[in-house]
Amino acid sequence: MDRQALIRRLESIIGPRGVITERNQLRTYECDGLANYRVIPSVVVLPETAEQAQGAVRACHQAGVPFVARGSGTGLSGGALPVSDGVLIVLARMRRILEVDLDNQRALVEPGVLNLQVTKAVAGDGFYYAPDPSSQQVCSIGGNVAENSGGAHCLKYGFTTNHVTGLEVVLPDGELVHLGGGKAPDPPGYDLLGAFVGSEGTLGIATKVTLRLLRKPEAVRTLMAAFDGTDQAGDAVSSIIGAGIVPAAIEMMDALAMEAAEAAVHVHYPEEAGAVLIVELDGPQAEVEHQFDEVERLCREAGSTTIQIAADDDQRALFWKGRKSAFAAVGRISPDYYVQDGVIPRTALPEVLRRISRLADERGLRVANVFHAGDGNLHPLVLFDGEVEGQERRAEELAAEILYTCLDHGGSITGEHGVGFDKKQHLPRQFSAEDLDAMQLVRCAFDPEGRSNPGKVFPTPRLCGERPGPRQAHPAEQAGLAEVF
Amino acid sequence: MADNIAPAFDAFHPPEQELIDDCVHCGFCLPTCPTYVLWGEEMDSPRGRIYLMEIGLQGETMNDEMVRHFDQCLGCMACVTACPSGVQYGKLIEATRQQVERRHPRSRRDRAFRALVFRLFPYPRRLRLLRGPLRVYQRSRLGALLRRAGLLDRLPERMSAMERLLPTLGRMEAVPAVTPAVGQRRRRVGMLTGCVQRVFFPEVNAATARVLAADGCEVVAPPGQRCCGALSLHAGREAEAQAFARAAIEEFEAAGTDEVVVNAAGCGSAMKEYGHLLRDDPEFAGRAAAFSARVRDLSELLVELGPVAPRHPLPITVAWHDACHLGHAQGIRAQPRNALAAIPGLEVREIGEAEICCGSAGIYNLVEPKPATELGDRKAASVLATGADLLVTSNPGCLMQIRTALERRGERLAMAHLAEVLDAAVQGADPRSLLDRR
Amino acid sequence: MGVQDLEREGLVRPADGAFEVDGVPAGLVARPGSVEEASQVLRAAAQDGLAVAFQGGGSKLGLGNPPERVDLLVSTAGLDQVLEHAAGDLVVRVQAGARLADLQAALAPAGQWLALDPPEPRATVGGVVAANASGPRRLRYGTVRDLIIGITVVLADGTVAHAGGKVVKNVAGYDLAKLFCGSLGTLGMVVEATFRLHPLPAAASAVTLQLETAEEAGEAVRLLGRSPLEPSAIELTWSGPGLPARLTVPFEGIRPGADAQAAAAAELLGRVGEAAVLGPGETEFALAQLGVLPFEKAEVVVKVAYPPAELPAVLADLRAGPLLGQVRAHAGTGVLWVASGFRDVRSLATAIGRARERLAARGGSLVVVKAPPELKRAVDAWGPAGDALGLMRRVKERFDPDRRMSPGRFVGGI
Repeated sequence: MDRQALIRRLESIIGPRGVITERNQLRTYECDGLANYRVIPSVVVLPETAEQAQGAVRACHQAGVPFVARGSGTGLSGGALPVSDGVLIVLARMRRILEVDLDNQRALVEPGVLNLQVTKAVAGDGFYYAPDPSSQQVCSIGGNVAENSGGAHCLKYGFTTNHVTGLEVVLPDGELVHLGGGKAPDPPGYDLLGAFVGSEGTLGIATKVTLRLLRKPEAVRTLMAAFDGTDQAGDAVSSIIGAGIVPAAIEMMDALAMEAAEAAVHVHYPEEAGAVLIVELDGPQAEVEHQFDEVERLCREAGSTTIQIAADDDQRALFWKGRKSAFAAVGRISPDYYVQDGVIPRTALPEVLRRISRLADERGLRVANVFHAGDGNLHPLVLFDGEVEGQERRAEELAAEILYTCLDHGGSITGEHGVGFDKKQHLPRQFSAEDLDAMQLVRCAFDPEGRSNPGKVFPTPRLCGERPGPRQAHPAEQAGLAEVF
Repeated sequence: MADNIAPAFDAFHPPEQELIDDCVHCGFCLPTCPTYVLWGEEMDSPRGRIYLMEIGLQGETMNDEMVRHFDQCLGCMACVTACPSGVQYGKLIEATRQQVERRHPRSRRDRAFRALVFRLFPYPRRLRLLRGPLRVYQRSRLGALLRRAGLLDRLPERMSAMERLLPTLGRMEAVPAVTPAVGQRRRRVGMLTGCVQRVFFPEVNAATARVLAADGCEVVAPPGQRCCGALSLHAGREAEAQAFARAAIEEFEAAGTDEVVVNAAGCGSAMKEYGHLLRDDPEFAGRAAAFSARVRDLSELLVELGPVAPRHPLPITVAWHDACHLGHAQGIRAQPRNALAAIPGLEVREIGEAEICCGSAGIYNLVEPKPATELGDRKAASVLATGADLLVTSNPGCLMQIRTALERRGERLAMAHLAEVLDAAVQGADPRSLLDRR
Repeated sequence: MGVQDLEREGLVRPADGAFEVDGVPAGLVARPGSVEEASQVLRAAAQDGLAVAFQGGGSKLGLGNPPERVDLLVSTAGLDQVLEHAAGDLVVRVQAGARLADLQAALAPAGQWLALDPPEPRATVGGVVAANASGPRRLRYGTVRDLIIGITVVLADGTVAHAGGKVVKNVAGYDLAKLFCGSLGTLGMVVEATFRLHPLPAAASAVTLQLETAEEAGEAVRLLGRSPLEPSAIELTWSGPGLPARLTVPFEGIRPGADAQAAAAAELLGRVGEAAVLGPGETEFALAQLGVLPFEKAEVVVKVAYPPAELPAVLADLRAGPLLGQVRAHAGTGVLWVASGFRDVRSLATAIGRARERLAARGGSLVVVKAPPELKRAVDAWGPAGDALGLMRRVKERFDPDRRMSPGRFVGGI
């Protein structure tokens, strides 16, 4: 099928208002939250219903054309980077909250619903949706499902995968299936929902999502403790965890990250602090009160210079706003920067931070650190100026070195941003060829023709016709069409 | 089209690459953008529009599609509030609109309508000429008859949009050239009487002058003043806006006041930008910057000064609507709430989705009636959900827009400008004087 | 190398009629002592086309349908090491054959535990993963899928593959660990797993509520769900139709928190019936009872999963026919275990079919977890697996193209 025929077919399914083909308009979709990579899609469609989305996928399948799903386009790994001969299926118009069932603590939503909208819809009844990525005001639930998004409060409450209990999915051949139990637990069969969440759009498109809603905790207490440096702040984190306390969140920012956030939201961080920790406890009143005193004591013992306790919801919101704006706010102190995302065992924190700082010094670059300290998820922001000859390349190298440092310490190349397009060449450093082949088995079961978000996550596609076993070169690779990174 | 190969922008003040570079493509602006909320399309979001500007700078053509997405921007500046990277979207879209106005051939109909709007609204005298026939038209219920007969619907969409928006006119009430301060004089302030405000909402200007006077301000309203240029500025009619700005600066300089007080959000926001607007004018650049620094919104000045006149109780519930050009463009949110909260017995309720524009946006509801109507409906629903007795805001456009949207639902709600509520409290007026209106 | 070679090396030996899976005798048995040996065994089995099943503690061998054949039964008993306990990171890496009880004992000195409390005393880590075993505290901590962060498996062809890792937060690659949770040996052999740990609660306090009707139970669950209380479990025990029932609600954490919550819960539940905070000795006894496998002596046990708010309606559904006997429910999560009296196959099979229809309409399911062979022949242990069954079959085909891993034991004949 040629492009024009496919466009006509898509228009007949979705209507002309939902099909974009004009070059300038298409170009606004050429990248997601990571603007380093850009590809103009052949067509963009904006379905309004699951049926339309299914129709679009089926049309792609019949035409033999690849497709990429996109939600709000806020991903930081290029996971929604279009393919030039493919259709970009944008779920932003599928944004209805279909059902709220508080007695079963579930909400059924369409994939384009924004993360924070879910909480807003149930807050009046004392409930909320727990995963809270920093972009929660704009990122979509469908995107969260694809990326298995985390957030600051995942330390205690887990990730998207722990809060999604049912999915309606359009498979790459257009078949519609239901995964997970939805409102009932333990459905018989394989946990395909578990495999789908976090698969970065490579297994199909979620068109309905059942979410677990949590009752708002009785009490929330938040403090911001300043330290001379990240070492002392890291000690405080260790002693809090060591004391058997599971805070709702422990976040750390270093001096440079504070400088950026301060410029954006005026939190009034203590001057001359080398690091701050935001520690939040939530739960039953009596427990929170008791443990909060202990956290305060442990911070002081670790050398905290000043401790501010959020007096009310507004101040708590301000603490968090500073933290959650930090990435974008770095734009205020540096012309360009990379947002890196890596994970280490939390206990390796001081050592890894020292190494990052040494690596940065060697390259004459600055790194601002913002991270989920409780679970060892680092977000080093590598600052550079693209105008300065060679800086961009050095920054890229440094960003990669940081990932390798994480792997050296038994960590991961991504804690929440995903592999996407950006990090696929690093995946073989974390997993063996056998590991990746085992993952491909899942891919081939869902998408034997490799049409759903091709070229993401995995560096080298293995054709699905191949039998598993000792790895052989991919035919495309042999033909010189693909490259093993 | 012959100009298909020409790049989108010429060298004269295109949207600045440096300002575009501030955008890190994070998307935080999306959910606060009214057109993105309506359509969910990247091109109709601030991030998408900035992207269009960027590819325009890189050489893509300014075609009808590109222009359409710039035109559809309400200029509400909600994205500026949401942006963690500090992108100055206002400057970007204004620069873009100037290029569009200069370089993009519009259809004859579009040109004619825009010309009509800009030959009418910025000119109080012309507007006033319209008042007489309008009052007759409204009193005769001719409008209702025509509407019932479906005749109005046959007018071009934009004309009928204009008809629906026109407020019911009351008595003309002029503000004197000088209103002396009550008691000790604390300030000598200039007051912008505006064009739409002056003609369609004269009582708001009168209330503004009384409240300022009551709180110790001598109020100077230069009788020669014209439009501030906000409508032109926000529509990309740069030269026109500059002419208005120069005239305003000269007029108020001559009046020799401490501050210049504005009671219309859009005007205040534009006047605070005079410095940027006239940055290339050697004669005016410095004067404009100094002038902009003296511009205050009514609520801003009142809170800055602190009240002198006692506020009498007003036992009513009000919903405060943040006009975009007050909240987003000027960052003024706390002051009007504080001013209202200082009135004994008055309860202020917040409107859901407060950050989303009501669709008025200068002349937007005239040139883009469809999205404006949808946004108006959305806002009307949120306003009604508060259950308040009275809707209060500080922009004439918002008042007209929300009233029209409420009427479409067959609902009525009393509405007042902030100045009128404060005036009622200062005068000790019966709350019914506010609630019985409209 | 074929299986015969491994027999010579002593890695594989004849079962001699001493081993079976759900009534199906095993031909050979193997007890690899390392991942490499496990890989060798499975590679040999692949070469010889042997059907393979796996055994941990042996407590779940009756789960699912009887396998079509068991040429080789591979035990994880030789893989019983706790490999790495990073207490500061709240993470443990452990071999599949390690007993859960032994693991907990090893973690306790650090004040930590793996927050899984399945009732089977012999349960191994691998068995808990493969059978998706859970207990009362899943209300608070989730199930094994929520706690597993890394896995090592040996695939049908002997390939050793890993997924996840040893950090709690990690989204690199597909989450194969979850895919293997509850896969019951049909995709390959779980040899190692890594889990996130929780601090051991320092104190506990429990509330009980005496119940007269199913509606009261439903109301109690609803009230707790709407309150900000954070119980570790909400357990319903009911001796059967016409008999009284009891709800046990433990709160675990630090002393002041547990006590305050128990007091608040007693007051809240007092609206429904007679509620009381248990004394220290009683609490200990009640918690111990929660950990006991229900209905060990019953001949037929079914597990019903349902939306938790529909407890009264589900009990009413089950009441029709001979299905409903003693009941034990994780009432907060929507899982209930029913011990049925076994009279005749036909009436039970009919009752199961009818109950499944009603549950399907509620989005729930009914799994026969224990039954005599004649009943197992008459009903599918799992019931319908929904519209994703075709996809599940395709997953199975990719992982086990020759259909040798516990064939026939899983849903839809997988």
